[in-house]
Amino acid sequence: MRRTARLKAVAAVAAVGMLAAACGGGGDSDSDSGSGGEAGGDLRIYSSEPAFLVPTAANDEPSILVLRQLYRGLVKYNADSGAPELDLAESIESDDNKLWTIKVKEGYTFSNGEDVNADAFLRAWNYAGNLKNAQNNSYFFNRFAGFDDMQSEDVKKDTTFSGLEKVDDYTFTVELADPFSGFEAILGYSGFFPVAQECLDDFEACNEAPIGNGPYKMQGEWEHNVQITLERNDDYAGEDTGKADTLTYKIFDDQNTAYAAFEGGELDVMYNVPPEQLGQIKQKQGDRIYQAPSDSFTYVGLPLYDKQFDNVDLRKAFSLAIDRQAIIDAIFSGAYTPATGFVSPNFDGYREDVCDACTYDLEQAKELYEQSGGYKGKLTLWANAGAGHDAWLQAVGDALKSAFGIDYELRVDLEFPEYLELADNEGFDGPFRLGWGPDYPVMETYLQPLYGSGASSNSSGYENPEFDAAIKEGDQAASLEEAIPSYQAAEDMLAEDLPVIPMWFGLTTAIWSDNVDEFKYNTISDVEYGQITLK
Amino acid sequence: MGTYVVRRLLQFIPTTLGAIFLLHYLTSLGIQLTGNPARALFGDRRPSEAQLGALTEALGLADPCLTRTGDPCVGLYFDRLQKIFLQFDFGINFNRRPVTDIVADALPYTFKLVVIAIIFQAVVGITAGVLAGLRAGGFFDYFVKVSTVLLISVPVFVLGFVVRDIINVNVGNKLREAGTLPDWFTFGVMSPVYKPDYPIASLVVPGLVLGALSLATTARLTRTSILENVRSDYVRTARAKGLAPKRVIGVHTLRNSLIPVITYLGVDFGGLMGGAVVTEGIFGVPGIGREIFRATISKEPSVVLGIVTLLVLVFLIVNLIVDVLYAVLDPRIRYD
Repeated sequence: MRRTARLKAVAAVAAVGMLAAACGGGGDSDSDSGSGGEAGGDLRIYSSEPAFLVPTAANDEPSILVLRQLYRGLVKYNADSGAPELDLAESIESDDNKLWTIKVKEGYTFSNGEDVNADAFLRAWNYAGNLKNAQNNSYFFNRFAGFDDMQSEDVKKDTTFSGLEKVDDYTFTVELADPFSGFEAILGYSGFFPVAQECLDDFEACNEAPIGNGPYKMQGEWEHNVQITLERNDDYAGEDTGKADTLTYKIFDDQNTAYAAFEGGELDVMYNVPPEQLGQIKQKQGDRIYQAPSDSFTYVGLPLYDKQFDNVDLRKAFSLAIDRQAIIDAIFSGAYTPATGFVSPNFDGYREDVCDACTYDLEQAKELYEQSGGYKGKLTLWANAGAGHDAWLQAVGDALKSAFGIDYELRVDLEFPEYLELADNEGFDGPFRLGWGPDYPVMETYLQPLYGSGASSNSSGYENPEFDAAIKEGDQAASLEEAIPSYQAAEDMLAEDLPVIPMWFGLTTAIWSDNVDEFKYNTISDVEYGQITLK
Repeated sequence: MGTYVVRRLLQFIPTTLGAIFLLHYLTSLGIQLTGNPARALFGDRRPSEAQLGALTEALGLADPCLTRTGDPCVGLYFDRLQKIFLQFDFGINFNRRPVTDIVADALPYTFKLVVIAIIFQAVVGITAGVLAGLRAGGFFDYFVKVSTVLLISVPVFVLGFVVRDIINVNVGNKLREAGTLPDWFTFGVMSPVYKPDYPIASLVVPGLVLGALSLATTARLTRTSILENVRSDYVRTARAKGLAPKRVIGVHTLRNSLIPVITYLGVDFGGLMGGAVVTEGIFGVPGIGREIFRATISKEPSVVLGIVTLLVLVFLIVNLIVDVLYAVLDPRIRYD
């Protein structure tokens, strides 16, 4: 998800107009879709070029937004609450949260006529998890029993998960390596969608003309960089059938260009807008705008492996000295939500103001700084090059300088691959920028991978056995609801130890044209294009 | 003439090989200096070594020379040459699409765009140049001078944004609302972005913007050349023979004056193919400029190599055609 988002940001920065768009005009247009009422019409959607249109391979936002209309999985997220509920699954049950039995509803088919049965899921998951297929979503199967074997270098191409077993045509079992109460919730991710046999037989063909099982099906082939057209699938057995007759994803590289197209009446929905034009867009759109905190989390990591940062007072002092809202307003025209904790506001289990040290309090900051003994030497602040991080990181540096009189320097010259390698090897000698996006709608996704001892994306080197124990307790709880208090306890420990400085969560903005009758947004799976009605 | 063309074609081979080597060396050096681009695809989610290895291998970046800074990767170079020339395989991009497919998809858009630009610049530029040259010092001469200087001094990203946001969006919206003009104009030509429903019409405005940059040079080159030739002996002879002024200007003067202009247009054709990056970005044209911009940002060596090699070939071929045209325009030039 993050790759494309980041690339988009880079492209936007590089191509930012020297001129702000001229005023006047507006999103009004004559629709060539000539239709009215509840359903029908052609919904024209802004998209950037997806990476893949096969669920096992696609892990970027533009791909997923197309896949969610083409495919359906075992679980979907409630349109209002975001809570996971059964979709293609008849039941998902377990006694110990370790061995799960999944029954698939009968009657669903792929657009090529193949049946959506237990095999449709098993073949997709075994294909995705096998290292030899180098699928981007392999990572999401890391809780399955047999994952390590599937990811070892000498795995055979036809090796399957030891934890997956077919019971009958519509029933199969999944064994996890360790109990996990949030298992059902993760199954709504598009990486767990079923795949037809014909699709795996010719992956390339299926990528160009997907064979889905959802409320929409592909019309023709993917016109790379131009558009993707979906038409309503009349054979779809589910209840949430598509509203518009066709969905046309118009592909743009540059958000500013897409916004010009929107203003010229060429687009009906634009999810993500050019941030530098946000003020003007808000003014023009009136009530045809939707804004909500997004799940993308930006933080400043602290190298706990460096002796100076192994000092909680210093870490808290740094965090308290940063006025997040001021930076957001001054540099990003208010396009972010300041973080007051470690978990996205959209998530079940989120609480406000978890982190006391995440608010701006200069007095307390100075006090704690005195207590900590201070920072010796020149402070180095790190970010990757060319992705628009220089300005805000400098604001952070200036804040620390004026609060504590520390001299600082920016290191923003490393390209992203090099930068990430340095993070992987614990090579930073000062605070560093990194980000995170959730893998599944369980708050644990913001905790264990980033702060668990030796966890895959723990770049600050934080190690706390109590934290690990709290996460484990949550994983083993009887249900997700019962797991949340344990996860919250773990989050509290982070607020106490502050291994990283939480900065902000993104702010999602979606706008739509006069042609749109009702706009639908799902806090977990984003815009529900299939449910949007046209006038 | 035949042997000349064959000789020129043979010269293509070392030029192309050299260009490919340079591209290969620079893209390899880029990876050596800034790290394995496959790692960036995983983003903040750290991959296991096996995962990273599998993806690196799948993307064709597994050659160990790519980790040794300064290594020219000669082995990889010959591998690439072999694949390119024996199997016509330029590799894949990071979404595992063959580069040949990407180029085949994107090239027609850029080609159409550049042809529109060249036609615009040839027709308007040469006409303006001739008129200015014939009435040197007159009103029209100054008009051309001032307007071309204005065009030259506005960078394309400014011109493009202004045209798109003011003319195509604002004026366009008024026209679309009024609905008096035909659809191909209001929804095609006036569309702020490229539209597959109007594949040519929606490329006209981007083409004009692209051509506007070189328009000035074409006009002034024609003007100078005309001024020079109007005073030459053969024109005086033609006049003295009593030929009609139309024929003196249209056939004798113009034909000779066009030699430098044709050279310029030829070189410019190649230049515009590669230089359409900004224009394509502003008007959302899915051409090779956009593709190469994206490939450069995400460091996809095969895409950069494939597209730039293609541009090199375009340059070579267009220049060959221009050289052959000299002989047609000026009978004194012979290639035997």
